[in-house]
Amino acid sequence: MKTLRVIYHLARADFLERVRRYSFLIMLGLVVWLGYLSASGQMRMRVPPDYTGVINSAWVGATMTVTVSLLLGWVGFYIVKGSVSRDYETGVGQIMATTPLSRPLYMLGKWLSNFAVLGIAVVIMLVEGILMNLLLGTHDLDLLALAAPLVVIALPSVALVASFAVLFESIGWLRGGLGNVIYFFAFMFALVFSGEVGSIGTPGKIANPYIDFTGWQIIGDSVSRAARAVYPDTAGGFTFSISDLATPNTFLWNGIAWTLDIFLSRGFFLLFALGIVMLSALFFDRFNPSRLSVRRKKTESDSPAPATVPEPIASPSIHLTPLPATRPVFRFDALYIAELKLLLKGQRWWWYVVAAGLVIAQLSNAPDVTRILLVVAWLWPILLLSGLGSRESRYNTREMVFSAPRPVLTQLPAAWLAAFSLMTLTGSGALVKFLMMGDAHSLLAWLIGALFVPSLALTFGVLTGSSKTFEIIYVLWMYLILNKIPAIDFIGMTPNSPWQLYLGLSLVLLAVSAVSRQIQMKNR
Amino acid sequence: MNLTISRLSKQYRRDFWGLHDFDLELKPGVIGLLGPNGAGKSTLMRMLATITQPSAGTIYWNGVDIVKSPNTLRAVLGYLPQDFGIYPNLTALEFLEYMAAIKGMDGKTARRRIDELLVVVNLGHAAKRPLGGYSGGMKQRVGIAQALLNDPQLLIVDEPTVGLDPEERVRFRNLLSDLSGERIILLSTHIVSDVEATATEIVIINKGQKRQHAAPEKLLAQLDGQVWQWVIPSEDLPALKASHLVSGTIRRENGIQVRVVSEAAPAPDAERVTPSLEDVYLREVSRNGASR
Repeated sequence: MKTLRVIYHLARADFLERVRRYSFLIMLGLVVWLGYLSASGQMRMRVPPDYTGVINSAWVGATMTVTVSLLLGWVGFYIVKGSVSRDYETGVGQIMATTPLSRPLYMLGKWLSNFAVLGIAVVIMLVEGILMNLLLGTHDLDLLALAAPLVVIALPSVALVASFAVLFESIGWLRGGLGNVIYFFAFMFALVFSGEVGSIGTPGKIANPYIDFTGWQIIGDSVSRAARAVYPDTAGGFTFSISDLATPNTFLWNGIAWTLDIFLSRGFFLLFALGIVMLSALFFDRFNPSRLSVRRKKTESDSPAPATVPEPIASPSIHLTPLPATRPVFRFDALYIAELKLLLKGQRWWWYVVAAGLVIAQLSNAPDVTRILLVVAWLWPILLLSGLGSRESRYNTREMVFSAPRPVLTQLPAAWLAAFSLMTLTGSGALVKFLMMGDAHSLLAWLIGALFVPSLALTFGVLTGSSKTFEIIYVLWMYLILNKIPAIDFIGMTPNSPWQLYLGLSLVLLAVSAVSRQIQMKNR
Repeated sequence: MNLTISRLSKQYRRDFWGLHDFDLELKPGVIGLLGPNGAGKSTLMRMLATITQPSAGTIYWNGVDIVKSPNTLRAVLGYLPQDFGIYPNLTALEFLEYMAAIKGMDGKTARRRIDELLVVVNLGHAAKRPLGGYSGGMKQRVGIAQALLNDPQLLIVDEPTVGLDPEERVRFRNLLSDLSGERIILLSTHIVSDVEATATEIVIINKGQKRQHAAPEKLLAQLDGQVWQWVIPSEDLPALKASHLVSGTIRRENGIQVRVVSEAAPAPDAERVTPSLEDVYLREVSRNGASR
């Protein structure tokens, strides 16, 4: 009983802290919008090329479930990750460490809080489905058909996401930006590995519900079977997208034929999530500074713990020589160098080795490979770039920086220029290659990319005061560029990419960050 | 050189003023700002440091409105916030170089000044160690050093001695005394002895309003003959606290030696003693209620 009370209060306090944040409102807005797209049929499941279901409760419930498991599977991780870090940063963790609270209980509390936050999104979707039915009469309401996939499929999916957020936070090196990047690729890999992409609903393909963590196979196979029953000539398959079908061929789908195996597999994912939480407890250092300092000694050999260093006897001199009365003219170059140092400081030797390796690789490969390597090389400094504009909030140096003369006109451009220099250096192999080839198109695209990325990082940093948003969006952006999506290709990987537009967008972003910083300073 | 504040106000909510109709005229010297938690000290300091915009009122630095032209003051400002952070991967030297660049100092002057400052704040031995490994007191001293980088004409230090050991506190007080002269130093603190040791003027602030502004001698003179001391049995202390303003207690062999602020003698055996700034401060705060 006492244990349950501890878990309840731990999860409750954490949950309340989060739902009272501005970012939670943004999440709610996003969920409501996605729910609307799903319930109104704008976000649709489809059997290629143009077979889609009649909008009824089962179809809406399943569409919402697919939406939740894809978007909350990815973005949800970033939404809930951070509660353990907050306990480190605020010092609350140190207080907790002095209580009898055990590591598994702490982790369980955090997981429940994560689960509750993501669970709310599922509940909102359900309520929205009901309301849209009652208010707009989009379909006849069958509550069980609407709710069942959300409860049986989506909830275990978000429980799993919640547990991975706890796991990543329990491991020091996964707690920060590196963890954010790794999760993205791990999630994409898991989607492919579990057969979620490409082969769902294909006749003859046997689904394994125990690796189907999103539940897409359960829904996709059922939908595909229903389509094939009405349109026997279809090859099957299953896709999910926001798209308009000019003349869709509709079919009636009354929902999943629930089997014991499905229930068992979803229960398996719930148990698996609990297992991840218990595994996290093994890694969790319970806010023990000695374990932290052991790690720090390994990574920062030149930073011994303060307690072990005796302070020398203070010099008796406390007199400061007055500076000349004439104030020197502001020197941008000094600030630029200082910003560059700040940007690069703390990187280990292997970071530079990899960056140099990528530069050489860009130089020594065929142009198409060079472009791919350029994407990788520009992704490599993501954790440095993500500090742009948000560093002052993260390290609480705002009051010191903002009380200096003209910070918007001096510090902000210097920080941006330092990041631009970093982009130039990491992408220098491709630059030389394109110069040698005399490829003006690629050169211009390269330049615009080098301008755009720091502008994007700076804007997100200033607007959110956090590095997380840029890390999430930039990884996805570069991933999609590698997949040759023309509209977002600012590097010029694809022939039809509108990379020229990104020059204008860069300027707009810079203006937005300058104005936002000015407003932030005025409104403090 | 002067700083003129008139009718300065900061409203946080409809029914809550952090500072209200605050007037102050400051000339060179060390001005100690005393007040209980939530009195409005940090709000005032943040507005003077051009961090926070006032809801109403004006601040003039040598005749220039710094609300409209903050950069005029920023060029000659040194500011140590109450709560500040550092970049953990930078060394003290690099951090100060960075702050000097932000303040627009040239490299040569900055380097000379930083070397001197590191000695003055007693961090010369740790100058090349990452700040992430510093103790709280050492970080505080880095904060002090960055505030002094540009040899400011207006130095604003908010709770500067928090986290410093007694030796470093004394050192900081001496530094402030050394710096005072042709500059205005605004020192906010709860520690009355810090103000007592350095301030040429004292401002007592409570509930967002100025309660007193005078030289320490004048403030002390207000309580002349009104501070009493005698020994009472321990069990009488609660009753005495209920009826009088007790500004200090020391346990003795024969009971508790109490110090009381009162216009009339509070007990037949009470003896008049010399007032301290702590007596003045407690009397002023108790008049208006300690907190909001």
